[in-house]
Amino acid sequence: MPFVSRPQRQHDYNMFPSNCPIVIDNGASNFRIGWAGECDPRLSFRNVVHRPRHKTTGETVTIVGDHDPAVMKYFDCTRSQHRSAFDYNVVYQFENMEYILDYGFERMGAYGSQVDHPILITECACNPVQSRSKMAELLFESYGVPSLAFGVDAAFSYKFNEQLGICNKDGLAICSGLNTSHVIPFVGGEPLFEACCRTNIGGYHVSEYLKQLLSLKYPYHMSSITLDKVEDLKMEHCYVALDYGSEVRLFQNGAKEAEEKTRCWQLLWVRPPVEALPSEEEKARKAANREKAAQRLKEMAALKRSSRITDLENELQGLEFLLQQLGNVQENNVESFLSQTGYVSKQEIDAAIVRVTQSLRKAKGESPEMKEKTEQYPLIDVPDSILSPEQIKEKQRQAFSKNMSEGRVRAQQKRFDEELQREKQNQQDEEKRLENPELYLEQLRAKHRELTEKVEQRKRLKTNDNQNLSGGVGRGERLNAAKKEKMRLLTTAAFDKGKGEDTFGARDEDWQVYTVMGGNDDEGSDWDEAELTRISSRLQDIDPTFVANPEAGSFQTITEIPKFRPLTEEDFQIAIGVERFRCPEVLFQPNMIGVDQAGLDEMCGISIRRLSSKNHTLEERMTSSILMTGGSCLFPGMAERLETDIRKIRPFGASIKVLRASDPILDAWRGAATYAAAPQFSMQTFSKQDYYEKGEDWLRGYRFSYT
Amino acid sequence: MEVEVIESGILLPTYLSFKRVQISEKYPKGQARSRHWKHLKQILQAENYTNCPPNQPNYVNIESPPSTYPSKKYCDITGYEAPYTDPRTSLRYADADVFKRVRGLPGDYVQKYLKLRNAEVILR
Repeated sequence: MPFVSRPQRQHDYNMFPSNCPIVIDNGASNFRIGWAGECDPRLSFRNVVHRPRHKTTGETVTIVGDHDPAVMKYFDCTRSQHRSAFDYNVVYQFENMEYILDYGFERMGAYGSQVDHPILITECACNPVQSRSKMAELLFESYGVPSLAFGVDAAFSYKFNEQLGICNKDGLAICSGLNTSHVIPFVGGEPLFEACCRTNIGGYHVSEYLKQLLSLKYPYHMSSITLDKVEDLKMEHCYVALDYGSEVRLFQNGAKEAEEKTRCWQLLWVRPPVEALPSEEEKARKAANREKAAQRLKEMAALKRSSRITDLENELQGLEFLLQQLGNVQENNVESFLSQTGYVSKQEIDAAIVRVTQSLRKAKGESPEMKEKTEQYPLIDVPDSILSPEQIKEKQRQAFSKNMSEGRVRAQQKRFDEELQREKQNQQDEEKRLENPELYLEQLRAKHRELTEKVEQRKRLKTNDNQNLSGGVGRGERLNAAKKEKMRLLTTAAFDKGKGEDTFGARDEDWQVYTVMGGNDDEGSDWDEAELTRISSRLQDIDPTFVANPEAGSFQTITEIPKFRPLTEEDFQIAIGVERFRCPEVLFQPNMIGVDQAGLDEMCGISIRRLSSKNHTLEERMTSSILMTGGSCLFPGMAERLETDIRKIRPFGASIKVLRASDPILDAWRGAATYAAAPQFSMQTFSKQDYYEKGEDWLRGYRFSYT
Repeated sequence: MEVEVIESGILLPTYLSFKRVQISEKYPKGQARSRHWKHLKQILQAENYTNCPPNQPNYVNIESPPSTYPSKKYCDITGYEAPYTDPRTSLRYADADVFKRVRGLPGDYVQKYLKLRNAEVILR
């Protein structure tokens, strides 16, 4: 919403006599208040209430209308939102209404003990009695208003334009507001509410649709796309297409007109400061620093190691000394001596010595395994019968460790051999390539194609299995040959009662059954995929015409993968092309949002149909004077669109003229003001006594007469 | 209260001379006021329009009926005309490129696009 300056307090309240009415246009988007007989409302502000808390004092204050961002920093606005008194176009929240009326009267300069002027206030068409009576109560009770009148804003607008000569006495008024749109027929100057028609689509729905579309298209900028900004965009750029289908086809074909019609909104973006590339000296300096740091680390590590070695050597010496002393000490003093040193027995000291020597060796960097290998396995060759049970255990242990070390050696050897083989293969490949590049390339490409097909097929099978959800649950699985085989094996294994001799397990190949039963063919597919990637990388290196095959199997083409490149100016541009006319289209086709009602064009037909008298001339007259009012009819191109659409419904040759009100936004207030200034106005109002005597039923039948 | 706040005249004064009952007395602090007010649906229910004669216009009467034109299907993402619907997510799309994008959308985006059309899946 463009920032409107705060309305000033009016100072000429006392200049108006007591019978001069105050005219209020109570709309869902804006509240306008002014004196009767003037041509413009004194005040006009957004019909919302905001109740933030003051940050320091903590008291809750009320702010009506637009708020000044500069002042708002003193208030904590997180808890409170803008609140409206309206639900669609009916006032239901009278507390907010009271705040708004308070503000309106106060700014008009009201003083004294009550608001001593008759009031003309607008309402929606066929306002429910409850809302009407509560409004009347509020005005009579709280403000002491002497008399009151209700009128429909669209009707006022039509009558005003009729006086200006824009439209005729009989006609249709199409009023499109914030939340709703009405079509009201006028016969003989009076609105016919029996034939009126209302759809719950308005300017708010258009803005909301635009906001959602832009947020989904540019999720990165979701926080910048606020409802206020979107309303600005809508007012500036949106238009109604004459024929939605053909406009959209323009964009689909990528025609040049489409390019011209696309508008770009540049968001605020500051280019990040470019880091200057480090010069040669910088690089050299950095390299030198790095080397120095590495040197320092190495020195520290060496220091640590040497200190550790000296520690261990000291320990070793101490332990050996202990052992010597133990040998010297007499038998009976052994225990006491040992308890002094802290070791329980001689074996412990021995074990400690061994440990320390080993760690010393490791610290000095010698490989301990060599020493272990020279360990003898003396007992292995000795047959079992000679040995004692202990020795037998010893022998088993040695055999085990020998097997382990031999196995380790064998594995190392195998790895070495494989490497050699791979090297040889690579060399052979290179030779082949060098001698006959064309043939080699062909072979490689053929292999690539084969492998891609295999991989794709497997993927397709897998995803096919996953995709058969409701239709063929398990049908795709059951029919697969491999799966059939699996099932067969499983059932035979389960139900095999062992007729005859069970020779399962005698041969090694029998155990392969389990891999077939339980496993997937994933291992095979993994190997295939690895081969595929290897071949494609080779091809990329040597073949200039090779294009890496896009992942056909995976549908992961997310357009918003954050590619790791620096953000440019274009990233912060929001392009509004199709949305320019897609959003106002909602007014004509509410089905686009899921609202199951007729659009503006159809509503005219419905309204004419609802007229009680089937008078052709009357209908002719009506369609030749169709007036558009209300804020949401300001879209460019709307008049032409309405004309073509209404022509589709009316009989051939009917005269159709769509006119726009002189000022669609302010005309309702102006019409109401001229009415209030007329002398018959005093007969239309009802006073407090009337209200209390006659009661609610009378209020139900209350109708403003517009002539 | 800061000087500039008072000067800007933004706040609603708490005492107004022309009012018989001040708003702070009418709605004492601390009570939940929002529950006092009936929403439009409840108002209409309470009105009980079925008792009124049917040719008299009232709020419910004048509402427009559903559209008689068959609804045109438009692509959810681009806005072009959409002859196709994705069976998995029931999003409408216009051609093969858009279809790739549709299939690449994460789950919550699918629901957000459907919500634009009032067709999202609500799990209760």
